[in-house]
Order: sequence, then C-alpha cells, then structure tokens
Amino acid sequence: MHSTYLVARRDYLGYVSAWGFWLGLLFTPLILGIFMLAPTLAQNSQPTRYFTVIESGTEFTDALRREMDKSAARTARVMLDPVAAAQEEDSEKLKAFDTARDKGETSLDAFVSAGGDPSILPKQDFVEIAPPTRNIEQLAPFLLGQQLLETDEGPQPLFAAFIINDATNEIEYWSENLQAQALIGSARNAERDIKLDAALAGVNIDRKLLEDAASARRDVKQQRVRVGAQVEAASEVTMADRAPFIVSIMMAFSLWFLIFSVINYLLMGTIEERSNKIFDSLLTSVKLPNLLAGKLIAVLLLALTLMTFWGLFSTTAAFFFADSIPADAASNLNIVMSAAANLGLVIPALISFVLGYLMFGSLFLALGSLCDTIQEAQTLMTPLFVMLMAPLAMLAFAVQDADSALIQIMSWVPVFTPFLLILRIPTEPPLWEVLAQLGLMAVTTVIILYLATRVYRAGAVHGAGVSDVWAFFGKMVPGKKSSGA
Amino acid sequence: MSGILPLEMNGATKWFGNFKAVDGLDFTVPQGSIVGFLGPNGAGKSTSLRMALGVLSPDAGRTQLFGQSPNLETLKRVGFLPEERGLYKKMSPRQIITYFARLKGMSARDAKARADELLDSMGLGAFAKSRVTKLSKGMAQKVQILSALAHRPDFLILDEPFSGLDPVNQQALEDLILEEHKRGATIVFSTHVMEHAERLCQKIVMMARGRKVFDGTLDDAFAALGHAVKVGVSDGFDLGEALKGAGFESSLEDGSVWRVALSPKQDPQSALRAAIDAGAPITSFSPQESRLRDVFVSLVSAAEAQDLTDTLAADAAKAKEAA
Repeated sequence: MHSTYLVARRDYLGYVSAWGFWLGLLFTPLILGIFMLAPTLAQNSQPTRYFTVIESGTEFTDALRREMDKSAARTARVMLDPVAAAQEEDSEKLKAFDTARDKGETSLDAFVSAGGDPSILPKQDFVEIAPPTRNIEQLAPFLLGQQLLETDEGPQPLFAAFIINDATNEIEYWSENLQAQALIGSARNAERDIKLDAALAGVNIDRKLLEDAASARRDVKQQRVRVGAQVEAASEVTMADRAPFIVSIMMAFSLWFLIFSVINYLLMGTIEERSNKIFDSLLTSVKLPNLLAGKLIAVLLLALTLMTFWGLFSTTAAFFFADSIPADAASNLNIVMSAAANLGLVIPALISFVLGYLMFGSLFLALGSLCDTIQEAQTLMTPLFVMLMAPLAMLAFAVQDADSALIQIMSWVPVFTPFLLILRIPTEPPLWEVLAQLGLMAVTTVIILYLATRVYRAGAVHGAGVSDVWAFFGKMVPGKKSSGA
Repeated sequence: MSGILPLEMNGATKWFGNFKAVDGLDFTVPQGSIVGFLGPNGAGKSTSLRMALGVLSPDAGRTQLFGQSPNLETLKRVGFLPEERGLYKKMSPRQIITYFARLKGMSARDAKARADELLDSMGLGAFAKSRVTKLSKGMAQKVQILSALAHRPDFLILDEPFSGLDPVNQQALEDLILEEHKRGATIVFSTHVMEHAERLCQKIVMMARGRKVFDGTLDDAFAALGHAVKVGVSDGFDLGEALKGAGFESSLEDGSVWRVALSPKQDPQSALRAAIDAGAPITSFSPQESRLRDVFVSLVSAAEAQDLTDTLAADAAKAKEAA
C-alpha cells in the first residue's frame, strides 16, 4: 500500500505541477462560460441594423411590424420564464405578460408589467427607418455604405431594403449581406400573414377570432401519481419532480467530461515512462498491480481536484452574484441542489464514476505502455476515442427519454452503463436491475483491469509495441497469417 | 544471514519467441564479492540480470536472491541500475533519489538526507533542485546510479554502469563501487570493457551467445589463456623455424619481432634460453602479460566458432533429413 501511495503521490504532484493542468483548470470554466454566454454576447455586440420598406401602401409594412413585434414577444417570454416557456406552460409571469400584450402594450412594456428586468432583454436586431429615397438607383449608395442614414445613433449604413414591386407583384429584398436570414424570414412570415388574413376575410372570419380561440385553449397540465410519503402532495408535476432528471443529466455529462478530460494524463504519463525507460527501475521497487493502482489513483485524484475546484468556483461565483440571480431561478437552483444531495442518486453515480474511470483509465494505461511516442499512440487511440464518444451519443438519446427500450437495453452494455445508469435512476428502475448493472460493470472492470495489466506487463517488461497489438489481432482472423512479431 | 548467497542462478533459460536469449545459466555471487559479468553485445547479460531481479521470469531453471525467489522484500535489499537509462525529466535529482529510496522502504526524512549527502559527495549538490533536463548526460547517469544505491542496498546490480561516461566519471564510478564494496555491499556489474573488470573484480562470469563460457577468478581467467614473449632478432633470422625443435610456436609480428607463445606452465626464460641456444641474433626481449581482453576475445571467439559449427551441423542434419 505504501508503494501505491508513493506512486500516486509522485504522479499526482507531477500532473498538478504541469502548466497544462492549470491552464485546463482555469480555462475550462472560462471557455464553458463563454460558450454559454456567446449567443447573448454575440447578439448584444452586434450593431443595430437599419432597414427600410418602399411600397405604395402600408400593407406589407404593417404586417412586417406585427411579425417583428411577435418575435420580440417570444424572446421576452423566454427571458421572463425560461422553464415555463420551454414547456409551453402558462406561469403567472407569462399570464401577466400575455394580459398586458392583449391590452396593446409593446413587448418591452409587457415584459416590465410582468415583473421582468428590462436590462436582461437583448437589444433589437433590426430597426425600421423611413426610406431616404424611393428611387432604387438612389438607394444603391446607401446599401453599399457609400452614403449613411441619419439615425438616433448617428450616421449609420442601410442594411437592407424591401421594395414591393407593384408591376411584378413581387417582394424584393435588397442587401449586400447574403448570409443573414433573420430579416428575410420575418418578411416571409409577414407575407404569409397577409395572405392568411385575406383568405380569412374571404370567408368572413376575423383573424382575432382565431387568436382568441388559441388563447382560450386549455393548458395540458402534467400530473403524476403520488405514493408513500408524498401521497398528500398535489399531483401536478413541479420543478421538484423534474430536478432529479436535470441532476442526473448533469451528472452523466459531468462524468463523461471528467473521464474524457483526465484520461489523457494516464496515456501521456505512461508513454513518458516508457520513452524515458524507467520501467525496470520501477518494477524492481514496486509490484506491478501497486504501480498501476498508484497511477490510476493519481489521475482519479486529479479528476477530484478538478471537480472540487470547479465546484468551489461555481459556489463562490453564485455567492458573489447571488443578488443578480432572479428569485425564481434561485428557488429552482435550490430545488436542483436538494435533488443532487439525494443519496439514491449520488451513490450509484459515485460507483459508476469510479468503475467507469477504472474501465476506461486502465485501457488508456495499457495503450500508453505500448507506445514510445504520441504518434504511435494515435493509431490505437481512434478506436478508444470512438468507444468514449459512443456513450455521448447514447446520452443524447437518453436525455429525450431515459426510460425508452433502447436506453434500457444499452444500459446493460458495460461501457455505456456508467453514463446511462445515472440517467435511468430518476425513472426508478427496479433495484435488482440497478444492482445487476453495477455488478456487471464491476466484473467487466475487473476483467479489463486484468487484461490491461497483462498488456502493461508486455509493454513495460518485454517492450511490446503497437505492431504487436495488430499482429495479435491479425492472428485472430481465421486464415490470415500475421506478419507482425 | 551469512552463508546465504546474494544471487544464485540455476539453469536459467529465457526464450524470446524462437530465440534463446539465455541458455541454462548457472552461477553464484558470493557475499561481499565484486563480480564482473562480461560478454559482447547481445550475449544475454541484461536478460540474465533482469531474470535475476524477477523482472523477467525464466522459462526454465530458477533464480534466487538471498535464498528466495525474487520478491519485493528481497528486492528492497537490492539496488539496480538498468542498462536502459531513464529518469523522470520533470523531476529534480533530489526528488528522484528520494522517490526511489522511499520506494525501497526509507523514511521521507532519511531519504531526503541521503539524497543530499550523495549528491554532495558526487559534486552534484548545486544541481540538486534543477530539473533533470538541465543536467548533462554524465550527470544524469550519476543521478541514476545514486538512486540505485541511495537506500544502502546489500547487493548492487549494475548493468553497463560505465557506458556513456567519460574517463573522469568512469574513475569516479570505480571509486564509488569500491566505496560501496568497502561498506559491505556485494556488487555485480556487467560490462564489455575489460579494464574495469580487471581493476575491480574478484570473480568473472563471461557470457557469449546466451551461454556461460567462463566462471572463476581473474587468475583462473589468465591461466586459461596462457602467455607469450616477444623476441626481436636481426639479419632476417627465422626464429620460428629455429624454435620449432624446442617445442615453441612462434609467429612473425612486425618485421624483425617474433611472438613466441607459452603454455600456462612455461617460464618466459625458457623461451629466451632456447633462442640463445638456437644462435638467434637477439636485439630485444619482452615478456607479454596476458590481459583479460585476450582471455575474453579468445573465449568469446571460441564460443562463437562453436556456435557456428553447431548451426552448420544442425543445418546439414536438416538438409540430410530432407533429402
């Protein structure tokens, strides 16, 4: 045990003293933060784009204004209550917003009336402006940026112009930006509304009638049967019911991310020892199983260090920005945190994490012992990375329906079990199934560890290389004579 | 503990695929001795030493360290310098020596103190905390040797310890080996440079083609080969012909200098006397001391010749059988 501790200590200190580790530690939350904030940042950093409409009447202009207002309302609803908006449910806030809108308030005013903070609303992408000229030839310098428009923000270029060509009965969209499709999409929706209104008018139906009918729809409320201690609770599904699923998804993705982010250390560390020819010195001082255990523990500790750091970072950030978190979000966060503390979820998650890590970690350790260089490792890494990416693909399926037949079956495949079992826990699978899957995973881990030890010995002691692995598989192909050693 | 041999190999054999790297190796290392393990490249020295340490398992025969099969407890009494040199590049010499000493059972405090003591004694004190990558090759090799002996082992196995060292460092290493021997350590080192073995060893084991070709003291080794004298003559005198009658084998070496071979029991004076008696116009006379190198070349050449003969005979037998 002492030698295992010494190996683990040396490897762990070696990893944490490397620059790469600290860069990963600090930059991962930063990159994730940027990744999450990127859409909002990109939207807010984008300059306001001005467009104009040239038509003989106002039919298209009015329809486009209504369409853009609807789009702004959709955004405001999401910002007001993301969960209810995503679930298409009517929360108090959303009802207040809709009522204000019905009274004719703009999206911004309705947002404020419903208790929203206007500062969190993304700014308007497109602003309509009166046409500087009605002549298309004279409009060209504005579209090309050679002439600027007078706006509240000072002189600005004209981004786009709609010209309703009465002669051809076509809507022309003029812009030098061929990529941005948002404005042209709004125009298409507006035109669709115009035609729908005309059709309804043809049969003497007021558009308002349809909108009222849509508003009067009954909400579909999700319910669940309460049993045991919860039998007295209301049957309507709440955030507390959804929290375990949210937590399990977070845990499964975190597990995958952690394994994926630290497993390379095992590979690199072993390749370094092989290329530095340290194995003989080590193997006369430590038993092989102790050596491997030390290495696996070192990287496991590394993963726990990352988890602890990121956990503390998140907690500290939440503490400092607590005032900025809306009350509803804070309440939901508390519910999620309570669900995360549920031992029924945490214990299988921890077991899955350790076994999953050992399963994949020992494979990478064995691979590293066969390679002198990273280039050599590349040839064997592809199948291993596919093996690691496959659970991620399964996770995407499982998020939709963790209780589906496909996920139930795939969770019996040991390489998927660590991730899929966690996702299935909130669906309350039978206990025997959970225990059996954990047991199968444990047995598979032991088998993989045993095989990995043998491969490691072959690499470390006998100098076996990548070519020997291919030769080994070559011999397994019936009728094929391997050319390798 | 006295009486227990630090190392004993009985019929140790190792195959790598179809290649027999070591063939029935028998030898012992007496306690307190310095044993030279000699052989040309590819003779099977490193494989034998790795078997001795239990890194490789013999396919036949057995190896024993301190009377037991190699295990972690017996290995704690052993210090090993492998043939393939390697250190953790991101660690300092002090960290590396401490790490290996602790793996061998020393406490953290003792290991650190011992590392400092050894680094100072080898003139590496100033580099104790530098990264290994900052050290010269010779310095790095010294660090590895120090990490093999930091835990004051009873038995040191050094595989090609002198290779890659300059003459000054070779001398320093010889001194270190003698110091360790003086401390009471038993030492085996492999080399194909005979001078080190001549200076340091009480016992020699020679290998060629995976087989032991000699096992004995230095005196035994010299005795195995015999010796010679060099006699210079003038006027183109044919000393070879003149000494034939007296039973000496001679060969012309350099214009007028003849090498006269002597059997292990023949006195150089007898050759001189025979030359005078034959009327040789002698201009110089010098006895030639036999060196370990000569013994080595002779024994290895004989083993290789025997091996070649065996191979040819086997091939011929196969061909005959096929016919």
